[in-house]
Amino acid sequence: MKTVIEGSHAVSYGVMLSRVQVIAAYPITPQTHIVERLSELCASGELPARFLKVESEHSAMASCIGASAVGARAFTASSSQGIALMHELLHWASGARLPIVMANVNRALAAPWNIWCDQIDSLSQRDTGWLQFYCESSQEALDTVLQSFKISERVLLPSMVVLDAFYLSHTYEPVDIPDRERVDKFLPPYEPKFKIDPKDPKSFSSMTAPDIFTEMRYQMQQSMEQAKSVILEVDEEYQRLFGRGYRMIEAYRCEDAEVVLVTTGTVTSTSREVIDHYREEGKAIGLLKIRTFRPFPSEDVRKKLKGISKIAVIDRNISFGVGGIFAEELRSALCNEDERPMVFSFIAGLGGRDITQETIANVIEYTLEQDQPKEDILWPDLKR
Amino acid sequence: MKQKITFKRLQDIPPVAISMGMMLWNKTGTWRYLRPKYTVKTPPCNEACPAGNDIEGFMALVTEGKLQEAWELIKEENPFPGVCGRVCFHPCESSCNRREYDEALSIQAVERLIADSHFKMKRQKHPPKLQRKERIAVIGSGPAGLTCSYHLARMGYGVTVFESYSSPGGILRIGIPEYRLSKSVLDHEISEIQSWGVEIKTNAHIGKDVAFEDLKKYRAIFIATGAHRSRSLNIEGERLEGVVAGLEFLRRIHMGEKVTPGERVVVIGGGNVAVDVARSAWRLGAKKIQMVCLESKDRMPAFPEDIAETEAEGILVLPSAMPLRITPDLGKVKKLEFIRAKLGEPKPDGSLNPIPIPGTEFSLEADSVITAIGEVPDLSFLPEDVSIKKGFIEADEMGFVHPEGYFGGGDAIHPYHTVAGAIGSGKRAALAIHEYLQGGWSREKFRIIQVGQKGTISVKKYFHPPEGETNPPVVLFKDIKTDYFEHQPRVGISKLSIDERVNSFREIHSGLGQEEAKEEANRCFNCGVCNGCDNCWIYCPDLAVKRKNDRYEIDYDYCKGCGICFEECPRSAILLEEEGR
Repeated sequence: MKTVIEGSHAVSYGVMLSRVQVIAAYPITPQTHIVERLSELCASGELPARFLKVESEHSAMASCIGASAVGARAFTASSSQGIALMHELLHWASGARLPIVMANVNRALAAPWNIWCDQIDSLSQRDTGWLQFYCESSQEALDTVLQSFKISERVLLPSMVVLDAFYLSHTYEPVDIPDRERVDKFLPPYEPKFKIDPKDPKSFSSMTAPDIFTEMRYQMQQSMEQAKSVILEVDEEYQRLFGRGYRMIEAYRCEDAEVVLVTTGTVTSTSREVIDHYREEGKAIGLLKIRTFRPFPSEDVRKKLKGISKIAVIDRNISFGVGGIFAEELRSALCNEDERPMVFSFIAGLGGRDITQETIANVIEYTLEQDQPKEDILWPDLKR
Repeated sequence: MKQKITFKRLQDIPPVAISMGMMLWNKTGTWRYLRPKYTVKTPPCNEACPAGNDIEGFMALVTEGKLQEAWELIKEENPFPGVCGRVCFHPCESSCNRREYDEALSIQAVERLIADSHFKMKRQKHPPKLQRKERIAVIGSGPAGLTCSYHLARMGYGVTVFESYSSPGGILRIGIPEYRLSKSVLDHEISEIQSWGVEIKTNAHIGKDVAFEDLKKYRAIFIATGAHRSRSLNIEGERLEGVVAGLEFLRRIHMGEKVTPGERVVVIGGGNVAVDVARSAWRLGAKKIQMVCLESKDRMPAFPEDIAETEAEGILVLPSAMPLRITPDLGKVKKLEFIRAKLGEPKPDGSLNPIPIPGTEFSLEADSVITAIGEVPDLSFLPEDVSIKKGFIEADEMGFVHPEGYFGGGDAIHPYHTVAGAIGSGKRAALAIHEYLQGGWSREKFRIIQVGQKGTISVKKYFHPPEGETNPPVVLFKDIKTDYFEHQPRVGISKLSIDERVNSFREIHSGLGQEEAKEEANRCFNCGVCNGCDNCWIYCPDLAVKRKNDRYEIDYDYCKGCGICFEECPRSAILLEEEGR
């Protein structure tokens, strides 16, 4: 049965159903509701976890690292400046091969202050060795939390479940909260192969010399590669048990498309309607939703975009000096293909500006009209 | 390292950077240049207690609900927890570090609860393990005399106490009104002392009923006759009918004599006896009671909380006034004349030096006048060879008196004017007598058994010298890591309303319940004493703190000397010293 809940709380319930043992958190808008509800669930005893109130996001991640290192299932949530403050520990968590799961609610980074939706906080952490999933709906956020623990614990890399600020975090939607018993079947307790145990003292993550450092990094990359198949396996199992699956990417009405719009997060939902509208008018426009950003689904993207001549990528972020990060990743995935689409890169919706159906239509119209983009970076909602 | 592990192939390398063998061979303790060490410091309450109670110790036991053990711990030092739990001026509370955080612990109330819960338990007989042949005579059964007797009896000595009144207790029985200390509590604690074999002879006034010479058959004589002679006003009319000395007034009440102070009472004096007198007169039906003293209100020697209670009972305090004369009406007191005065520099002998303010004379009318301007020892019964100085027996800090074999304590040797002070002096004398009889006293021993720097001593320390530092430093408030304590006000103590006190000598204060006492004891910082809080054990990053018998020990093979345990010990029970290498 579906329940109408806030997007943040969908994450909280996902965490509760995952039987997380340690939650360490520091509040930051727009993430706070996630851990607020978790603290209530801990206080009421519904979630028998240790809830650690810490003095910073740095300490939150440090606590999760400690908890995970002794074999506990650990979770935290953050946003924006909080994620930025965690940065060095994000590297540590992945390097120490700890399957921590974190929810990140996408928010712009200061200066100037801005609390609204922007993907730069999580995308700035793309090289930290974390898996990243961008969610379109509250349901997907809940399901992705459950899947992430399973995936992370198999590949020994941490996962970030990413939600759009306010559009998702503060919006109420009907969400199916799965049965505890079925979740328990899907996600058994974490049994670490390596953990800190005072009865068997060992040294962890100590100085590792050049003679094996390369191999350890190679192993991490291998795990990222392995994650691609694990994500699909876990998603298929989830689909069987709960009737919902998401894959790494989703192609929507892409058959014979003249232009394929590429989106992430909640813009995808808005775009679906715009695509339907174009299709009704007989125009062949498709949509590609990218859900998994790390590992980047290069093979899937290449397959789905084979034969497509133009793609319009909407990035709610900007890497200064280059452009939209998703567009960049797509270019890089496609550049060695003989037949590859022309990549139109649009920056829109920064710092919480609404990406309306009109904006999306403008993006599509421009891409239809032009053989190739007039500029490397296009700004469809810029006030000129 | 025992063996070098060389990885040849990728598949040999674990995914996590982890040591492949045991790391215990790597004794990281060798990196240490600072060494943490568990210690026991002196809690400020213990230092402040003249009776030498281990307050921190009994608080810790109360938190565990161990009231019997707490009672036994107090009794190692002090035979009067029920008395002190009611009438002590509790300097421990004034020294409590918690005072600087929120409010001092209600130590006295917890001590009372420990004593009171023992009253309900089955009585035990305590035959001392060792029966010594020496017998000691104790003159006076007040707090000093009985404390000395108690400790001597516990050491196995035979003790005979000579008491001039018909029942034992001295000032506790005849000086402290029942609304502050009920007779049943006193009787209980005295009978506890007697159960150790102390013999008390009442109606045995030395010099009247018993000759001093008769005491010479005892191996030592402890003189603790208190200060029972009220100082006189030296003004006209002092001998009139209706003028009575304060201690005499209180004694008559205790002896069950019919005491009728009349409607209007003037009490002269500002000390604790004056307060007790005024409040007793009020309970005996006096309607208008006025207390007049030389001191300004803030310099009155009575305890401030007692002055506040006195005024709450409707007694009028008139400070900074000096009596001039008392004039009669049909031979009975009628009118008292006073003049306002301020205090000059004390006289060379230390006494008050009032300077009258001309033109400020006033008069009061009274049916009776009670004088309580100080009490001094009456030492007329002593043989001449006992040395006396300025009205007191001349004794050193342990109670040794010239000539050999004589010892002194309580208000007879020093104007303590406190029960706890008398108890402390009785204890010191008991040890002095023991050392004298065993033939080996030294200043060094006194230094070792001291608790802090205020002269209090511990009998427990005498018989069980602590390992390590004998008199460790006192813990200051700045040594406490207050982050680990929540603010919590001290427990409230209920007392009778003013209406309930009229015409009644019922005890004003009621005691705490066991749960209340436990909660109060939980507020204790346990300054300088490990209470097993686990902080060091939790914080040690090297797992070098090990639990051992509810406490901890440090595994120096692996302690790197980071000092986190020292920094995070909430109560300053860990030292950090430079490594001696």
